[in-house]
Amino acid sequence: MIVIMEENATEEQIARVIEKLMQLGFDVHRSTGITRTVLGAVGHKIVDARELELLEGVAEVVRVTTPYKLVSRSFRSEDLEIRLGDVVIGGREIVLMAGPCAVESREQVLEIADAVKRAGAKVLRGGAFKPRTSPYSFQGLGEEGLRYLREAADRYGLLVVSEVMEIAHIPLMSEYVDILQVGARNMQHFNMLKELGRQSKPVLLKRGPAATIEETLLAAEYIVSGGNPNVILCERGIRTFETSLRYTLDISAIPVFKKLTYLPVIADPSHGTGRRDKVPPMARAAIAAGADGLLIEVHHRPEEALCDGPQALLPEQLYELVGQLRQIAAAVGRTM
Amino acid sequence: MDIEDWRRMIDEIDAQLVELLNRRSRCAIEIGKLKRARNLPIYSPERERHVLERVRRLNRGPLDDEALQRLFERIMDESRRLERLAAESPNGLGEHAG
Repeated sequence: MIVIMEENATEEQIARVIEKLMQLGFDVHRSTGITRTVLGAVGHKIVDARELELLEGVAEVVRVTTPYKLVSRSFRSEDLEIRLGDVVIGGREIVLMAGPCAVESREQVLEIADAVKRAGAKVLRGGAFKPRTSPYSFQGLGEEGLRYLREAADRYGLLVVSEVMEIAHIPLMSEYVDILQVGARNMQHFNMLKELGRQSKPVLLKRGPAATIEETLLAAEYIVSGGNPNVILCERGIRTFETSLRYTLDISAIPVFKKLTYLPVIADPSHGTGRRDKVPPMARAAIAAGADGLLIEVHHRPEEALCDGPQALLPEQLYELVGQLRQIAAAVGRTM
Repeated sequence: MDIEDWRRMIDEIDAQLVELLNRRSRCAIEIGKLKRARNLPIYSPERERHVLERVRRLNRGPLDDEALQRLFERIMDESRRLERLAAESPNGLGEHAG
């Protein structure tokens, strides 16, 4: 961290900042310039920069290191590969996770699982507990939904990812799913993140719609620092001033995440756009941008879907899309 | 004298500087231990100001006062660190501390 003093800072003000830095556990390198004094704080402490910015005579505090540590590329340089049976997330192969927004019935899940398996998906997605914007919307089938998901996944040789809505559900969810998903709304549910840090199953962490990349990485840090190293980040669209789609899928976040962290990064073009016709172009863009996987909603009868039908692809649209994605994957040195 | 001759002279002076800086550091370490024993703060801005004023008074060039001050600021940065380490673990600081 570097503290830049104001031009007219007094010797007493500078001394107070040095004192504060030392109290915080830093060694200080003082450099008195012609107009300004600059104090270099040397050490591995993480502090709130405001503690220094508010001291008298301080012009600016520049952070040199990141506030997250364990999920940083500087902590581990090679990409993390999460192995689940013969599926590797974060390896050379791009992993497709697909399925309905919500589990509606046993037949529905079986039919969609069959379709996504044919498309080459490795993971079946489906919500059993649904966080809905409106309390009057379908809230999910609960444990019954988890049972259907597991049955369908086992029948077609798929893994299961499903969203955890609350801490109390974690043991139950862990019985049925292979990957525990944290929804965008819960990305900063810190107590839940801590509990997920104590789990042995990988966590798929969705970026909050108003969360910065740094906040997302700090959320991942909660899980990793709790002892669970297997976190998959998921870009799913953020709020911007643009209103034409539900969210703005932040494609640029993918290469930024990939540079800052070794964790696998996937994209969810379904929630990111909210419209079926916009899912394929965004899915193609995400793979071109370096995503390690995609999370795509699929429904065989989207007009009858109980949740987010307009953003679900039809199975045949998914097949066509995967054909295109394979070509893009090859162009960027990946397989699918 | 040619470049090589001047460089040999610099090497000799550097050897003396290393010896002198380490002598100075040993003093800082002892001060660190005493400050701990007497519960005094490691950082003494008054003393640092005094050191800088004094070296400026002693200065006869060709280093200008500001350059000398910058060099001594770095020396004191490292002294402060040694004092801190000495105060934190008074017995753990040997000849090759830090």
